[in-house]
Order: sequence, then C-alpha cells, then structure tokens
Amino acid sequence: MQVCFYFQVHQPMRLAHFSVFDGSPSSPCDAYFDDNLNRGIMQKVANKCYIPTNKILLEALERNQNMKIAFSTTGVFLEQAEKFAPEVISSFQALAKTGRVEFLSETYYHSLSSLFTDKSEFTEQIALHQAKLKSLGLVPEGHKPAVFRNTEAMFSNDIAYLVERLGYSGIMAEGIDNVLGWRAPTYLYSVHQTSKIKAMLRHYKLSDDIGYRFSAKWWNEYPLTADKYARWLSHLQGDCVNLFMDYETFGEHHWEDTGIFGFLRALPDEISKHPHLSFATPSELAIATEAKGVIDVPNITSWADMERDTSAWLGNDMQKAAWAELTALEGPIKELNDPEYTRAWRHLQNSDHLYYCCTKSLSDQDVHNYFSPYDSPFDAFINFMNVLQDLKSRVHERMKK
Amino acid sequence: MRIAMLGWEYPPFKSGGLGVHCFELTSRLAQMGHSIDFYMPVVGQPLPSPHSNIKLIEVAETILKPYLSFSKKGQRATYGASLAHAVQLYNQQVAKMVIENDKKTPYDVIHGHDWLTVKGACDAAHETTLPHVHTFHSTEFDRTSYPWDFVLDIERQGAGQSTLLIAVSKRTREAVLRLGADHNKVRVVYNGVDAAKYGNNGKPHETSAISRMGGQGKKIVLFLGRLTEQKGPVQFLHAAKKVVEKNPNVLFLIAGTGELMPLLINMTIEMGMQNNVRFLGFVSEEDQKRIYSACDLYVMPSTSEPFGITALEAMASGTPVIISKTSGVSEVVKAAVRVDFWDIKGMAAKMLAVLSYPSLKQTMVMLESNDVSQLTWERTARETQDVYSEAMKLSPRKSTISIPSR
Repeated sequence: MQVCFYFQVHQPMRLAHFSVFDGSPSSPCDAYFDDNLNRGIMQKVANKCYIPTNKILLEALERNQNMKIAFSTTGVFLEQAEKFAPEVISSFQALAKTGRVEFLSETYYHSLSSLFTDKSEFTEQIALHQAKLKSLGLVPEGHKPAVFRNTEAMFSNDIAYLVERLGYSGIMAEGIDNVLGWRAPTYLYSVHQTSKIKAMLRHYKLSDDIGYRFSAKWWNEYPLTADKYARWLSHLQGDCVNLFMDYETFGEHHWEDTGIFGFLRALPDEISKHPHLSFATPSELAIATEAKGVIDVPNITSWADMERDTSAWLGNDMQKAAWAELTALEGPIKELNDPEYTRAWRHLQNSDHLYYCCTKSLSDQDVHNYFSPYDSPFDAFINFMNVLQDLKSRVHERMKK
Repeated sequence: MRIAMLGWEYPPFKSGGLGVHCFELTSRLAQMGHSIDFYMPVVGQPLPSPHSNIKLIEVAETILKPYLSFSKKGQRATYGASLAHAVQLYNQQVAKMVIENDKKTPYDVIHGHDWLTVKGACDAAHETTLPHVHTFHSTEFDRTSYPWDFVLDIERQGAGQSTLLIAVSKRTREAVLRLGADHNKVRVVYNGVDAAKYGNNGKPHETSAISRMGGQGKKIVLFLGRLTEQKGPVQFLHAAKKVVEKNPNVLFLIAGTGELMPLLINMTIEMGMQNNVRFLGFVSEEDQKRIYSACDLYVMPSTSEPFGITALEAMASGTPVIISKTSGVSEVVKAAVRVDFWDIKGMAAKMLAVLSYPSLKQTMVMLESNDVSQLTWERTARETQDVYSEAMKLSPRKSTISIPSR
C-alpha cells in the first residue's frame, strides 16, 4: 500500500474595494488588487503555516529517507510569496532539493479555464505555471510532472481527455461515492472515453480526518494521534491511498495549540513502522501503478462543498452573470494583447472571486464566509462586477485608439 | 392564558411598527387559543376586533394621535407637554381598568408595550401581583439625538420593574440594558411579516400611477418612513444625487411625513433633483403594498432602527432591499444588501449595482423569499408566549385567597 500525500497551496489575490465612483488609475492590476490586505494575509499565513510546516517536513524528510510528498502551488500563490514573504519560497526550494518532493502541474491562476469553450487559455495557463515552477527551481530542468491537478479538483471525462492530450499520465479527482459505487478509492482508475490517463482519487474520509476533523472535539476519534492514523492506513486494502488536503490545514485551519504540528512531525515515522506501507509521489504512482477499472464522470465533480460539483462557483444567477462577463472578455483581451491587461483579466479568473459570491444556505455557507473578505455574497458580486466593468471599458477604449 | 395587553395604537389607527406588531401578535395569540384584552386610547370610531378571543378596550378620556404630533427634537414646549399629559392620563386610567377587570375574571399576565404604557402596566402589576412582561420596540436613544429625561425616566422604570423584558432585536436589547435592565431579564423576540398580505400580489405594474409621477421607463427607488433624522432620509437624498450622476434614469420616491419634510424639499431643489425625486406624503396601507411591488429597490438607510418591519414587507413583496447595518432586521435576514448609513458613496454604489445587474436582483429576491418564510408572526407569537410562561414561573401571582388543601 503506497501512501501519497499531496498538499494544495494557494492564496487568492483579493480585490481592492473598487467603487463605480473611483477614477481609473493608470495600471489595472494596481487599481484592482489590495496589496496591503494580500501582504497581511500572506505574512500571517507564512508565519502560522508555511514556514513552520515546511520546517517540520524538511526535518522529517532528512530523518526518514523513504518519505515522499507532493505539493501543488498555484502561480498566484508563488507570485505573492515572492513579493510579500520571500522566505517562504526559499523554504519550498529547500524541500525541492531533497529530490523527494514533487511539485504538480495546475493552472497558474487557479482558474476555471478548463471550462472555457476554447481550451487555448487553459493550455496557456498550465504552461505559465510550468515556467514559474522552473524559474523558481521547484522542478528540475527538463522534468515535467506526470500528474495534473485541476483547480479545486474539478474533473470529468472531458477534462481528463483534455489533460491526457496535454501529455499527462495522471489527474487528481475527488473520490466521490456516487462515482465509485461499490469500488474503493484505493486503486487508480481509467477514465471513460480516454485511452491511458489514470484518475487518482482523493480518499476523502481519511483526508478530512486530518483536514477537517483533527481538532473537532465532537468527533468520537478525537484526539487523533499519529500512531492511530498510521494504523488506520495499514488496515486499508488496495494499491494506494491518496491523502489530499489544503496545506493551510497545518497551523491555519487547525492552530498550533491543537497539536497539529506534533501530529505531522510524528506521522512519517509512524507510517514507516508498518512494513507494508511505503511513500510514493503522484507521478510515481501514475506511471507505475496499473488502473483497476474504469470510471465514467460525464458531469463535473470537485472537492468543494457538500455537492462536490461546480455549484460553489457557478451556482447562482450572480455567479453565472459574472462568469459570462468574464469569459466574454476573452476575445477583446486576446485581441488587445497587452500583457498588463491580460494579467489583470487572468487574475480575475481566480475561482475564489466567484466562490465569495456563493449563496448556499446550508453549513457550507459558513465555510464560504470564513474565507471571504466580504460582508456578504452581494458585496462580493458588486465589487467583482465593478472591477470587471472597469476592465471591460478600458479594454474597449484602448482598442478604439 | 388570559392576557392584559396595554398598547397605544391598533390598525387602522397606527403610525408605526408598534401598531402592526400589536395587531399581528394579538391575532396570532388568539389563534393559539389565548384570550387577550387589548387596552388602547380612545380613537373615536368603532373598532372591529380581528378575532373573538380579542377584546379591544378603549380607555376613556385620552383621545390623541400618537407619534405624528410628537416633536422629535426635544422641544417639549409645543407638543411635548400635551403628549406627556395624555400619556399620564392614559396610564392612570388603564391601570384602574386592568385592576377592575382582573377582579372580575383574573388575568395570567400583563404585557405592556413601549414607554407609553410603562406606568399603567407597572401600577397594575403591583396592585394585582401579576407577572409583567414589557416589550421595547424602540427606546428614547433610538428616537432622538436629544433624549428627553421625562421619557428616559419612564423607560428606566419599565426596565427595572418588569418581570421580563422583550427587545425586538439585539441592538434594542443593548439599549434596554443601557436603561438599567438586569441582563438576565431581557429576551430578544424579532418581528415578523405576513407574507400572504404582500407575497400574492405578484408584480402588478402600476404604470399609470408611476408615469403620472414621471417614472415611466425609469427605475424606481423607494424610501418609506417617518421623515425624521433617525430614518436617514437626508443620507438617502445625498446618495440619490450620486446615483443620478451615473444614471439619470432613476426616480426616487419618498413616502412618509415628518419634521424634515421642508428641509428635504429644499435640498431636492437645491440639488436640481426635482425631476428625479417625488414626495408622496402619508401613504395608506393599501398604497404601501402597491408601491413596494412597483418599485425596483427599497432602501432603509436608518441611522438607528430598532427593527425595521418595512424592510420585511418590501422583501415579502418581491423587492430587493438595501438596509443599514444599524438596524435590528439586519440581524436576522440573509438576503439584504447592507450599508453603513454614513457611507453615502457606498450606498449609492450599491443602489446602482442592484439597478444595473438583473442577476443580483434575482438572487436577492430569491433568497429574500427564504428569509420571509422563516420570519413569521407565528414565530413571534410563539416566542412571546414562551416569555409569558417563563415570567409566570419566575414571579407567580401571590394568591390573596388561600386555597384549601385536600
């Protein structure tokens, strides 16, 4: 049984408060994004999570020569870390140097560009992300990750087909019960209507035991210890267990005083105590492990909310309207071909902007509120649309000249 | 339960949320099987009771119009003195009547509303030893920037002497605590809305009325409330000016009367907004319903709003609402867009957004119907009944007749 850890690292570039009454300064990116807010959050999370967790993992990797892990870091995250907390970049570089830490492929802008009608934007954003990883030395020269992670684990037959054509051997997806049926997420699967790409399904129960339940006092397994968790892993049947979670789980979602760091420090050693458990990176798994069946996912799945679909971003009328405006700008932006404008438009594609406009009423709303810098989804929508309208009118003005 | 309820106004003779609340509360309590004697000043016309369990009792010698004639600036020389006198007279009379009626058929609880009935309720409760529940729909702190000691003293008496207190929102609870109430004694019970009264209207297009006002082809934004500082009409007008700078195709309706009317009319002319603003004056209940449906947006910019029932009424009419953060209703609704009453630019920007983006309006209206379905008067009545029961347990009536033991 191979244990595959992958951590998602992302921070959105949050928008500035942008009123229709504000004049337009010269550069769109300067006007649209709130540097102070983004700096503050990046530095806070760096201190609470990125720096201490990277240190724990580096020590564990040095201690335990069999250990392997993977990250997926968005371009938006890397860009902001370089600008606001460069020590975070160097600590990731130190992890990369061990040779046992893989950095996966995804879209630079944490976007929903896989849903665009024309897939060239999607492809370009993946290339931009690759270039960023290379320029920071996070992936070795000449190396290409074999596994792709789409924004928020969005997945379908079509997306898998697209990703396969881009040359990937594996793609991350949520291990949803109604996709799997009686089958277990502890195997790799082929995807309907594709030839060889393998779907790597998140074991949501075991992943969420750490990601969500670790500090939950109501949970009957509380407190979770590393030896108990390793024992659970050792009891699993199958080829591999995919434990995917937000990196901010460590120190940010669960604060230091919950004991999360102690848990993480002890976990690799506890896993190594079980002889039939071993570590693998996603690329190693995707290349070396055989698929054990075929899954058929005609509709898009994701790892978000209870619904595990796209409703967190495209569920209500506001989100659909914002999305329509955003995608309608593609033509003009490409025609104008001004790097500054293209960059602003791509940052607006960050799925978080749409996520803040979500109006679901159930328990998920609390999660949306927790992450949102806005008072309400309406405020999020109004601000986003104000920015989008400004960009639109500027693009049209520039094109007239 | 048999309830002696002391009020001040009752439909159709009402000027604010207090009257609506008393009508809906007594109706729902009556449907739940309780019997209510509702005491109020003489209105001079026959009053139909909405339910056989409700007896409307007019208290002699106090004919007056409640709030409208009351100066809000603390200038008690003109109207204030007469109001003070009328309140005093009403309270003396009502206490006597409650005590007498209790002797004939005993009550279980006395329930008073606002400062206007504090003395009568306290006196009757003292004499009869009945538990006394008192609801604050607002306090003097909300109504004016210049609190009047005469009123504050009465409110303090109510806050101190009642068995239990009901505040219509958390922010009103804070005000009641400022009056000196024991924090263990104040319960929050929110107001509701009768969606059937508003919801079934569909969206009748009041084209003729609107076009007479110059609103044909324009978006309509409504302000509805007393024209006093507390309701924020001045901020509304300033924000309207900003909206018109960006979109001249908007008509602002200002419904209601009050001491700020002359100022607001002058402001409108000075701003050159006469083509974009209409003053409707006092609006009947029936017309209110029509206007809610006909407008594209309702704005409640109150500087201090203990609750704000009109926001729920607009929501029940399928109209998106923008409400100030300093309102009780903003504590319970999910669907509204919130603003700071002092943030004129922000308010204008949000008005423009609701008028410009159909998707925003649709999403708000859809979620508003969820809010409205939760906030019923049945819920208000149930929670009020729970406060009665709690008060009866907390302070059982001292029996003057000794019950022989078996």
